[in-house]
Amino acid sequence: MNGSPSTIRVIIVGAGKGGAALIELFTRSPDVEIAGVADVNPEAPGLRLARNLGIRTATDARGFIAEDRADLIVDVTGDPAMRSLIFQHKPPRAEVMGGTSALLLWKLAQRERDLRNQLIQAEKLASIGTLASGIAHEINNPLYTITGLSEHLHDEARPEVIREYLDEIITAGQRIAGIVRGLNAFARRTQEEEVCEIDLDHTLDEAAKMARRATVFDQVQVVTQYESALFVRGKPDELLQVFVNLITNAVQAMGGCGTLTLSTDDDDGFVQATVQDSGPGIPHNNLTRIFDPFFTTKDQGKGTGLGLHIVRDIVTNYGGQITAESTLGQGATFTVKLPASPH
Amino acid sequence: MPWGLHTKDAPGNGRVMIVDDEDTVRKVLRLTLTKAGYDVVEADHGGKGIETIGSDDNAFMLDVILCDIRMPKVNGLEAIAFFQQQYPSVPIIVVTGYPDQKMATDLLTQGVFDYLVKPVDKDKLLATVQAAMEQRLALRHDH
Repeated sequence: MNGSPSTIRVIIVGAGKGGAALIELFTRSPDVEIAGVADVNPEAPGLRLARNLGIRTATDARGFIAEDRADLIVDVTGDPAMRSLIFQHKPPRAEVMGGTSALLLWKLAQRERDLRNQLIQAEKLASIGTLASGIAHEINNPLYTITGLSEHLHDEARPEVIREYLDEIITAGQRIAGIVRGLNAFARRTQEEEVCEIDLDHTLDEAAKMARRATVFDQVQVVTQYESALFVRGKPDELLQVFVNLITNAVQAMGGCGTLTLSTDDDDGFVQATVQDSGPGIPHNNLTRIFDPFFTTKDQGKGTGLGLHIVRDIVTNYGGQITAESTLGQGATFTVKLPASPH
Repeated sequence: MPWGLHTKDAPGNGRVMIVDDEDTVRKVLRLTLTKAGYDVVEADHGGKGIETIGSDDNAFMLDVILCDIRMPKVNGLEAIAFFQQQYPSVPIIVVTGYPDQKMATDLLTQGVFDYLVKPVDKDKLLATVQAAMEQRLALRHDH
């Protein structure tokens, strides 16, 4: 048992949609520990999720119920026979939640999940806003070259000058086309909602490209130290969101000037990615609050205070961990640890 | 000679410094301004702009500064702060690809003459530069 005295240890019986929703909810609740998940169907979605998160699973609930490990047994099977089985085998101190009260908890878990998805969507929209103004800047420069030189073509008679302007107009047009191509590729990726195997190094590179559009990167030296062939399972857009957010924060912290180090490594069944900046660092009292919702040190209108909160939410949902370390004056390091996908 | 402010080598309507890191953007601005009779000096980043205004007697020769915001080395905001502190009588027109309403409001409050977003219409650019020249002339006469 690794929980503190205030930790509530829960066994979940029934790992269908309801069980899976409860696992997600409890995983995000700091004072709740899931001591085991049971379902007769070994392929039940909740059992798969529990295995991914490193939680004990069983196809026969009796073993878990009989152990004196749980404070609470939540029965979401809706099966009266299971209810009597639980009362037959459970240790005296374990409480049981079943029937309508378990159903109510499931409904609340679903509501919490919906709200969380809305929060992710809100943050995504906010980062799209930042991205849009970065893209506007990138496009407006070559666009000005095109409109400006075209205006001057009107009153230009020298063939060699006309050719020169036309060449520059074509180059500017190609530059805009390149930007739009990059955006199309990004849009296609973010429509990929299915969980799949993701190359971590590639995701970091893509995230750096996206962040480059969202913030001023000109004087940032990017150093990459990748361990090759590291894979995780997840939704591509969610993982991209994690790293775009961390990289954008890092570059903004450095005021657009310094060294950004992106590295990946494997670590005993986990892979880890670190985003390190050479900025001023994060004061100790802020370090404990940066993952709190609506905590921001950015100017009003510049940050929602949701970015890191959602980053942590996404990472823990994949059974991972995110940590932040910083010494004042020596930059900050964010480390994301995720379960490795056997490739 | 409507803006005949100068003595030496700045004939015509006045001298404008263009601070922008993009060659072709500077070229478009230069073509537009020289055709309208302005003398033009160029800097490809904020630091160069600071160096240029400080060199020789440019401080007395420059009438208007056109300045980009996102530039490598010294960015536009840093350069503008320097220009405003050291050469408060030279009007600054921001010409940027970055449509940021808050930044525009902040800069205008801080005394920047105007905030133009690329692509800038030629007539709008010339009208703004001319208005800035008039302000510069008025300030010169005050001193």
